[in-house]
Amino acid sequence: MKTFATALGLLALIAATPVCAQSGVVNVYSYREPGLIQPLLDLFSQETGIKTNVLFAGDGLIERVAAEGELSPADVIVTVDIGNLANAKELGVSQAIPAEALARVPAAYQDPDGQWVALSLRARVFYASKDRVTETALTYEDIAKPEWKGRLCTRSGQHVYNIGLIATRIAHWGVDKTRDWLTHVRDNLNGKPTGADRDQVKQILQGTCDLAIGNTYYMGLMLNNDAQPEQKEWAASARIIYPDADGDGTQVNVSGAIITKYAPNKDNADKLVEFLLSDEAQHIYASSNYEFPVVAGVEPSELVASWGELKADKTPLTEIAAHRKEASALVDELKFDDGPQN
Amino acid sequence: MPLSAFGLLLIMGLPLLWLIGAAVMAGFSGDNGLAASMLPVAFRETAVLMVSVGLITGIVGLVAAWLTTHFDFPLRRFFDWALILPLAVPTYLAAYCYTEFLDFTGPVQQAIRALTGASTIKEYWFPNIRSNGGAVLVMSLVLYPYVYTSCRAFFLMQSGAVTAASRVLGASGLRTFFAIVLPLSRPALIVGVTLAMMEVVNDLGAVQYFGVNSLTAVIYATWINRGNFGGAAQLAVMIVLVIGVLILAEQWARRNRIYLAHRDSRTPPPRERLRGGRAAIAFGFCLVLLGAGFGVPFFQLLDLSLRQASVADLAPTLGALTTTVGLATGGALITVAIGLYAAKKSNGGKTARNVIRLATLGYAMPGTVLALGLLQPLGLGDRWLNYFTRWAFDWMPGLVLSGSAIALLYVYAIRFLAVSHSTLDAAIKKRGQSMLDAGRVLGAKGIDLLVRVDLPTLAPALLSAATLVFVEIIKELPATLLLRPLGVETLSTQVYAKANAALFADAALPALAIVLAGLVPVILATHLSARRKV
Repeated sequence: MKTFATALGLLALIAATPVCAQSGVVNVYSYREPGLIQPLLDLFSQETGIKTNVLFAGDGLIERVAAEGELSPADVIVTVDIGNLANAKELGVSQAIPAEALARVPAAYQDPDGQWVALSLRARVFYASKDRVTETALTYEDIAKPEWKGRLCTRSGQHVYNIGLIATRIAHWGVDKTRDWLTHVRDNLNGKPTGADRDQVKQILQGTCDLAIGNTYYMGLMLNNDAQPEQKEWAASARIIYPDADGDGTQVNVSGAIITKYAPNKDNADKLVEFLLSDEAQHIYASSNYEFPVVAGVEPSELVASWGELKADKTPLTEIAAHRKEASALVDELKFDDGPQN
Repeated sequence: MPLSAFGLLLIMGLPLLWLIGAAVMAGFSGDNGLAASMLPVAFRETAVLMVSVGLITGIVGLVAAWLTTHFDFPLRRFFDWALILPLAVPTYLAAYCYTEFLDFTGPVQQAIRALTGASTIKEYWFPNIRSNGGAVLVMSLVLYPYVYTSCRAFFLMQSGAVTAASRVLGASGLRTFFAIVLPLSRPALIVGVTLAMMEVVNDLGAVQYFGVNSLTAVIYATWINRGNFGGAAQLAVMIVLVIGVLILAEQWARRNRIYLAHRDSRTPPPRERLRGGRAAIAFGFCLVLLGAGFGVPFFQLLDLSLRQASVADLAPTLGALTTTVGLATGGALITVAIGLYAAKKSNGGKTARNVIRLATLGYAMPGTVLALGLLQPLGLGDRWLNYFTRWAFDWMPGLVLSGSAIALLYVYAIRFLAVSHSTLDAAIKKRGQSMLDAGRVLGAKGIDLLVRVDLPTLAPALLSAATLVFVEIIKELPATLLLRPLGVETLSTQVYAKANAALFADAALPALAIVLAGLVPVILATHLSARRKV
């Protein structure tokens, strides 16, 4: 028993050595999968000699930084979804991003106070069955029409991607029209929302869904998935329609970065964010994850370009973020996640 | 006396108490951002899921334990330990593997299409795995071992005299099962079913995959989409308290019963040899259970790993394996030590018992919410500690509590205290007081009593509790993900990172490592306990 206790004490001590502020290091808390940002970070280290440490988690990292307070080792938070970015500002864990970095990004895709900046754009689009959908252009209003009854599918309405989509509709239409629209969309669903975006493509392949809502880059990832080549076949059953291409434009969400309020390696954090907005890094965002670069002048990947040109909705992200709670309340009120009711 | 029990509640219940605080601070005003419309739906679906999984795991686990302990049939000795194996498969992996297996693009439906020439699912009938029914099926298949292990241990320690008497008096095997075995094994059955049901409540990954509108999903929507952590805390606390009340109600319901089997009797139940059709049924039952709970996910992961993994993947997986085993070993030792203390306390009186019940409720909390409930007070503690050391020694040690393995070991102890406590509590009840009294009469006390009486007499239970907790820690995902120190990766966080990028083929190797790392202690413990003839 005594040896156990000693061993445990030792274990605790060894593991308790925290990662402290050192020169030549930048600590990243990431909501994005390591596989996705590691190539970028490796390149950053190669060019600057600054080592990167990454902690990846799906939820709660901003709350963690808040709990750690001024002792937090985090320098940069890399995240997806405007909700996380706005939340970080609200919890007061951020500080201003250097002006040179902000200058590279359109005003709609950064915080007015410079507390966060977008790193890439992600369009939420329609996946249409190649066999069963003839339309080549659709608006958001269209999918509420009765001809789509039983033919639509999407993931949970409470997923942040769908919340972003619905919040954008509220920004354009107001709550009442959006409620009406969402009610019809719900009743057009083929059943209860399940799975993630690429599972909706599977539904198109198996014939239970004709039109799905999903992010563009999943199609890219599936079409080039050499590890699971069967996904190429799933993706081949669908094509992409950019919704509202002739109207307000297609809704976009972002991945973005925050420099933490107490960043122990503030200079390196600045350098990292500047690097992530460089042409070189933006090009990698485009080519490895099929997202849209946020910096003007950097082209999307060839595959993405082949889907046509993205006309992005210009609503400022802060405005969309402001409607997220209403969007979530609507999804709840309409019991969207319980599937069609009429 | 309950003072020490309250102390335990304070330490083990820290996140729960913190969340209660957050819930109260958030207030109960009308616009608290709770997903009120979905709540009834979520309550209904979660309750149906809990009851269904509880029923299925209860029946299947009890029958399996009854068969392997009371009868002899082909491969019984193999099934005896192998039936525990699904415990090594986390629910989120089982959900993924089963969907891959039974979905449109999986081998089963591919075979159907090849045979019938169909091209879409509308041309033939096949149940949809992504449904509430699918969730019940998959969760039951990997959670029944909780019931199996507790009932098996119970049957093995139970005197064979009662069932023997029943048979001598002319009752058939089935009648004996329903009239004697089932009522007698109720305490063990309830321990197992409760653990399985709590696992259902705290799960998020698997149920989301199947599209179940669970309470955990509502908690997440409240927290993530409304930015209302206080509201999420209200819900989480409410759910945990409901479960606590259910547990207490169940105890109250059987307050007047006396279980004869509590007496320690070492006459093992006689095994009846099954022949012909009956042997085939028993054999088939065990085989299907093992194949479905373990075979399907295991061979799928093995297949993916062999197809995809390269030598380059081995190094990070091995690194994560070392970390995981280290954490699981440390966590198991601590959790079992606390569990033993708690079990001894809870056998000391009614109040202590109920207080400790409360302390074990961390198991029913969604992992991320529990982790945040711990992270916030630990972070605060760290800041105070650093203010103090800066003032006193002009030195700041950094995040000693929240940024180190301490946070992980702590959260494991909170989360899995229910597992170690219930196993040891049952064993202490069964052992009775006489051994301890004998030790005391002979002059042993304190540590001496612990080392010379408690540890040897409870060795099998300690071993199985440690095994269970070890396996649980290896599988644990949400709390590990959020509380691990910067730069630390475990097998489950590796799986999550890759599966999250939907590169499941790359996740197969660490996933397989989780299953294998869980297998070793399961097999070891069953073999050791078999040798001890307990």
